[in-house]
Amino acid sequence: MSTEALGKDPGPEPASRPSAEPAAADPRALARARRRRSAARFWRAYRRQRAGLVGLVALVVIAFVALAAPLLVGADADSVTDAPGTALEDPSTEFPLGTDQFGRSVLDLLVHGARISLTVGLLAAALTVGIGTLVGMVAGHYGGWLSGVLMRVTDFFLVMPTLVLAIVLATVMSRSVTTVIIAIGVAAWPKTARLVRAQTLAIEARPYVERARALGGGHTHIMLRHVLPNVMPLVLAQTTLVISEAILTEATLAFLGLGDPQVISWGGMLQDAREAGAISSGHWSFLVPPGIAIAVVALCFTLSGRALESVLNPKLGVAK
Amino acid sequence: MQPTDENAPTPGPLHRPTPAARAGRPGRRLRRVLGAGAAALALIAATAAGPAAAKSAQDDGGDGDGDKAVLTAAVAQSVDSLSPFLAVTLVATSLNRLMYDSLVNYDVKTQEPIPGLAEKWEPSNAGKTWTYTMRDGVKWSDGKPLTAEDARWTFHTMMTDEAAGAANGSYVANFAKVSAPDARTLVVELKEPQATMNSMDLPIVPKHVWQDVEDLGKFNNDSDFPVVSSGPYILTGFKTDSYVTFEPNPDFWRGKPKFDELRFKYYKETDAAVAALRKGEVSFVPDLTPAHAASLEGQPDIKVNDGQGRRFWAIATNPGARDVKGRKFGDGHPALLDPRVREALFLAVDREVIVDKVLQGHGVEGEGYIPPRFGDYHWKPSAEQKIGYDPAKAARLLDQAGYKLKDGKRVGKDGKPLDLRMLCHSTDARDKAAGKFLEEWWGALGIGLDLQCLDNVGDPWVAGEYDLAFDGWSVNPDPDFVLAIHTCAALPESEDVVGQTDNFICNKDYDRLYAEQLAAYDDPGKRAEIVREMQSVLYDTGYMNVLAYPNSVEAYRTDHIESITAMPAGNGNIWGQDGSWSWATAVPAAEASDDDGGSAMGVVLGGGAAVAVVVAAGVVFTMRRRATAEDRE
Repeated sequence: MSTEALGKDPGPEPASRPSAEPAAADPRALARARRRRSAARFWRAYRRQRAGLVGLVALVVIAFVALAAPLLVGADADSVTDAPGTALEDPSTEFPLGTDQFGRSVLDLLVHGARISLTVGLLAAALTVGIGTLVGMVAGHYGGWLSGVLMRVTDFFLVMPTLVLAIVLATVMSRSVTTVIIAIGVAAWPKTARLVRAQTLAIEARPYVERARALGGGHTHIMLRHVLPNVMPLVLAQTTLVISEAILTEATLAFLGLGDPQVISWGGMLQDAREAGAISSGHWSFLVPPGIAIAVVALCFTLSGRALESVLNPKLGVAK
Repeated sequence: MQPTDENAPTPGPLHRPTPAARAGRPGRRLRRVLGAGAAALALIAATAAGPAAAKSAQDDGGDGDGDKAVLTAAVAQSVDSLSPFLAVTLVATSLNRLMYDSLVNYDVKTQEPIPGLAEKWEPSNAGKTWTYTMRDGVKWSDGKPLTAEDARWTFHTMMTDEAAGAANGSYVANFAKVSAPDARTLVVELKEPQATMNSMDLPIVPKHVWQDVEDLGKFNNDSDFPVVSSGPYILTGFKTDSYVTFEPNPDFWRGKPKFDELRFKYYKETDAAVAALRKGEVSFVPDLTPAHAASLEGQPDIKVNDGQGRRFWAIATNPGARDVKGRKFGDGHPALLDPRVREALFLAVDREVIVDKVLQGHGVEGEGYIPPRFGDYHWKPSAEQKIGYDPAKAARLLDQAGYKLKDGKRVGKDGKPLDLRMLCHSTDARDKAAGKFLEEWWGALGIGLDLQCLDNVGDPWVAGEYDLAFDGWSVNPDPDFVLAIHTCAALPESEDVVGQTDNFICNKDYDRLYAEQLAAYDDPGKRAEIVREMQSVLYDTGYMNVLAYPNSVEAYRTDHIESITAMPAGNGNIWGQDGSWSWATAVPAAEASDDDGGSAMGVVLGGGAAVAVVVAAGVVFTMRRRATAEDRE
């Protein structure tokens, strides 16, 4: 149920292995049909999660806005020399959310900021999950002293507060978007590593893995063909959850002035608002929208992630 | 030979920190982080407290504590040391001026030197001997008389004890001998004449207290209260980054200050300080942003002082860092050695826009070097000299210099695109804002800009590892210090040593004029003329370009303070004066007004709305979460 969803069926059940299918049908066509079926099944299950659906729809809209930002608000919305308004204007028909301290439209900046927030969120989450999966699988598969060493390293990073570690990393490296991505990615992976290791251990205890090993399957074969496809659902669900965490961390770092000052991001907008004195001078329209945007996107990813988790997680899925 | 105290880092960190200041700030980043947290807390507090709390807070702010008139001022910069021998930050030197008077003061209206502890002074022996006659009957706050011997001991200690010369040692470097033949006569013998003897504003400390200090390099003067003073106030309490408290000195020779207590309270966030001002917890807040000034303007019981600043704010280019012996170091971009490239950069900067958009009118367009408030010393470039805003000419100059446009980028003869780094102070919103404009203006020319905003720009700067930088210094009524930092003699001894130089500039004509103005101690008019000529030379070297002279934007509560003196008269500043006038002459308001504007309402409403949205989202989320949790069972 879980593995098919990704269309990478390694064939845990002997009966479903292509060699056992009738020779008359093209095995590729069969695999395609089966993947289509499992995708449909997955979608039916996901559709039942109302919150997940809301989150997904909102994410699609936000992603569209972010991708189309240059068309929607113009590529030079972040230009300070061509700023259309005056400093810190209140909301009006021309500037629905007012202007920032340079006279740029806050709404335009918000749309632009979505690009960085989403990019950093996605890439940092990918990095986090990548490191976590690699470490978790290697530790779970090889066991022994290697696992001990890797897990102690994981523990070390786990007890270190993510934000503090990210701040330190962002401080010592040069100010750029890449730095922020690396800082978040390196700081947030241990949870994933632990999860993946546990799942790896569970899967490797299954009889078919033992059979594969007996048939001469090497470490790489077992990890890539049998373990990875089975931890993928977990990893995928974990990814969506990590994204929201990464977006929040990115906003925090930018707010603390550790982001790239030359790009527009939501956290950076909060920082700009603070530096310009918008908080105590009552310019809420500069301060509140980026904060709500961060909260909404993080919420959407969390909702989708939870829904995905309950659809894909083998343990949660059985009950359905 | 220069008074460094006033020129040291000022509240806005436009300043390149001096070595001492740099050494004293290891935990800056942490403080910023904590500060951000504090701002968030302050916002929450402001949202929660409401008008009722505001009123009660106001009562114990201004005229609370029974009948005691307390003046509370918000400060942000950390005190490096309260010892006048060590203090270099603006906040610490300003506090020192409250405690220790000097031989010569600056007039609060005209900024001219006027008698302070010295009644009169006279040069003789062709300007090499200066005789100061001390004011009669001046007493330290412990009742002991203040005599010429105290002044002699102070100067002598700075000349002989290296630790005591940390902050102002250069001021006495030219002193040959200091003597006090009697209680009212101080004689200073110089190696060379120096005009700054007319403005001897070094703090004088009590010999009978300070001679027992074992190590002046480690004594911070912040443990034994009350501290024996000669100025308008007596230090009664100090806690790092928390508060500094003073009581008026009843024996101050100009008269006892009217407030019963003077309190400096730390607010690391201007937002928090402004909120405290609105609620009446503090009476005075310096360094406001334009948004703060605009929102405070017209509020009941609050007066915004938009005073002419004493700072210049400039772009500095690395002229090829080198030491006194001419040995080069650092990695400044070679393109900047070409005067045409530098001129092109400056031609593409629209200073009017910088004043309009970045300072939002709170400043004056930059031209010469010394700000216009120092009348005689201020200089403007002539029409043919002036580098105005002319991007077309800038493009032509770059073409001539061999940097041709290729795919929108200027490419040098070596085929490399022209990309420059620029140091900016990450704690200064103005640097970052101006950086955005420069990036776009220079980007339009085809020059790439990598803005490097750092908490501590001092390290790469001293190492010469920069191409461009935001630069800024406070200027004293006697401009000697800001002129001295561009002389060849100010260059570092070697690349490992921190020199006094601002920007590694070394120019023979400039040095000759510097020596001439220093020798013109008896002719202020001639000296001012030479100083103006020096600025002309400096302008023509093209290594520095002054963007603007930012104003000092400050606000105080008129229901706490009836009057406070700005310096100079007209439109001067209150915080960071060349003297202690503002605090010494402030008059408490007769009665605190009951009226407290519900000014933070906008934020409260906006914040309330945000909180409501977040709570609603949280509720929805929790419900959904519960739903999935049920699914799991």
